[in-house]
Amino acid sequence: MFARFSLLVHIASRHLIVRRRQTLVATSGVAVGVGFFLAVSALMVGSQNDFVRQLIDVAPHIIISDELRSPPPQPGIAAYPGGAVELHGYRIRNEVRGLKDWQRILASVNAIPGAIGSPSLSGAVTLRLGGRDEPLAIVGIEPGLEAKVSSISDKLRAGHLDDLERVQGGVIIGEELAQRLGRGMGDIVPATAANGTTRSLRIVALVKKGNSQLGSSSGYMLLREAQSLLGRPFIINRIGVKLSDPYAAQSVAAGLEARYRYKAQSWQERSADFLSLLLTRNVIMYTVVSAILLVASFGIYTAVSNSVADKRRDIAILRSMGFSQGDLQLVFVLEGMALAIIGIVLGWALGFGLMTILGSLEFSIGGEIQHMPLDRSPRQYAIAAAASLAAGVLAAWLPARKASRVDPVDILRGAV
Amino acid sequence: MVDPVLVARHLRRELPGDPPPVLVADADLAVMPGRFTAIVGPSGCGKSSLLYLLGLIDRPTGGELLFDGRDLAQMSGDERAAIRLEHFGFVFQFHFLLPEFTALENVMLPLRRLGRLSAREVEARATSLLADVGLAEKGWKLPEKLSGGERQRVAIARALANNPRLVLGDEPTGNLDSVNSARVVDMFRALAHEQGRAVVCVTHDMGIADLADIRVSMLDGRVIEVREQNPPS
Repeated sequence: MFARFSLLVHIASRHLIVRRRQTLVATSGVAVGVGFFLAVSALMVGSQNDFVRQLIDVAPHIIISDELRSPPPQPGIAAYPGGAVELHGYRIRNEVRGLKDWQRILASVNAIPGAIGSPSLSGAVTLRLGGRDEPLAIVGIEPGLEAKVSSISDKLRAGHLDDLERVQGGVIIGEELAQRLGRGMGDIVPATAANGTTRSLRIVALVKKGNSQLGSSSGYMLLREAQSLLGRPFIINRIGVKLSDPYAAQSVAAGLEARYRYKAQSWQERSADFLSLLLTRNVIMYTVVSAILLVASFGIYTAVSNSVADKRRDIAILRSMGFSQGDLQLVFVLEGMALAIIGIVLGWALGFGLMTILGSLEFSIGGEIQHMPLDRSPRQYAIAAAASLAAGVLAAWLPARKASRVDPVDILRGAV
Repeated sequence: MVDPVLVARHLRRELPGDPPPVLVADADLAVMPGRFTAIVGPSGCGKSSLLYLLGLIDRPTGGELLFDGRDLAQMSGDERAAIRLEHFGFVFQFHFLLPEFTALENVMLPLRRLGRLSAREVEARATSLLADVGLAEKGWKLPEKLSGGERQRVAIARALANNPRLVLGDEPTGNLDSVNSARVVDMFRALAHEQGRAVVCVTHDMGIADLADIRVSMLDGRVIEVREQNPPS
């Protein structure tokens, strides 16, 4: 079996060596296809990973909020499901806002391996300064916990999250807002809650510009100070959850929601629009690069089919010698495979080179030097190789089948 | 009495058409080991077609072809290829060597395909086969560097590679000068008389036909005469 295989490989390789120019054209076609596939997909996958990482990190992986996805069922409906009376337009009972029994929810979140929960209370206050009213969405947090759950502490221009603990009435607001108010670090701003409570807050840290999610109209306070300012002691209305595996967020969120009925939103749900955009992007990318690989396989088709046409006489000789149709087919499939494999290896080198060039480019965004996000994982190399090999074998198989059907009698009879 | 290697009964080959053109019509023939059989006849009489049928290169449209008592006409393509490989050897009018392979490599092809010998044994056997046809020194040459007579001798060495019981020649001397031609005919006769193989040759050269043990004459696809010229002693 092996002897037969090595013999057929030998025949195929001789054919390729004799037809150097065709071989060169076909392999370089594959090489260019594989090289650009690698470069393009490294860019696309790299930028996608970068983007998803930002999506994931911008907020906790799961946010449990004091909302219900659907109102609780009316007692009558609960008692007689499928009853003859249907209720319309009833008024939903307003519960007191806030997560009930949140300590238990938090405890069970923390019981999930790799998960950390951070409770917070958000509410609206108004900063009143020199006759100006600036609305501010205030979030009361436990700095120690929040630092583990969100990346807020990385986004501070000055000061620390911990300063909230150290300074009475400390607040963190965005740089833009501080500028609008004409206030800076250590300055005092008066805040008024909806219930009329007023406190003087001291700015202890500023959030960098350019973080749209944290925005210019939100601020952070210590949880208990926020509770007291908003007049809702001991109440929280949000638990942010960070997971060690962000991609488990959907199932964990579903579990939490099933258990406590409060809306638990995973980052995937939150960013469903972006994720579907990424999907479209991936479809476009793979369509384009598959087209490149497909075109490369045309080169293999041409090379192998020319080889078959050239070697009709040899095919007849080998058949008369006792080589089977399968042997002849395999010879030409092997030629296609060899072309594909040589092309793939050259393409890997080309792709690696292109990636190195792309990776060395520097861009200045927002005053910071950045490199292109590239995904250099071996997975891309494997995908490119598998796709080209499959395309190459298929491209060779068509003419190879023709080779196996050459009738030796026709050739031997009319031999020149 | 020796058993024939190959027996054709009412062997028929028609081309598709209406009425179908007949290449070989109801040929009956027994191919005997140790005998040199020549098939003769005018151009287009179907002698090559008959040879291709006997050599399992073409499939008959009717009749039987028995090899060791088995009907070859009913066999699959792969089975027929396996029999060709192991038991049949072909020599054609044109040398038909693979141009990318050296003389020695050409001779090694059937040996390697059969795969019964180690790489070392394959090379040794191919070398001795080339020596038998007087080309021991030229095994490393590509076919294009050999003369016509040399190429044909390489082709004969290749045909004998797997020690076939049946050697088939399609005008094997058709392209050679008289010296080389005589040499090839001597080889074919030796294959039959000294090595006991069955040898069947298609030829239009009456000189060769006269040297054959059995002379099969064909006309219009029919075998019209089978004559013993040199009865076995």
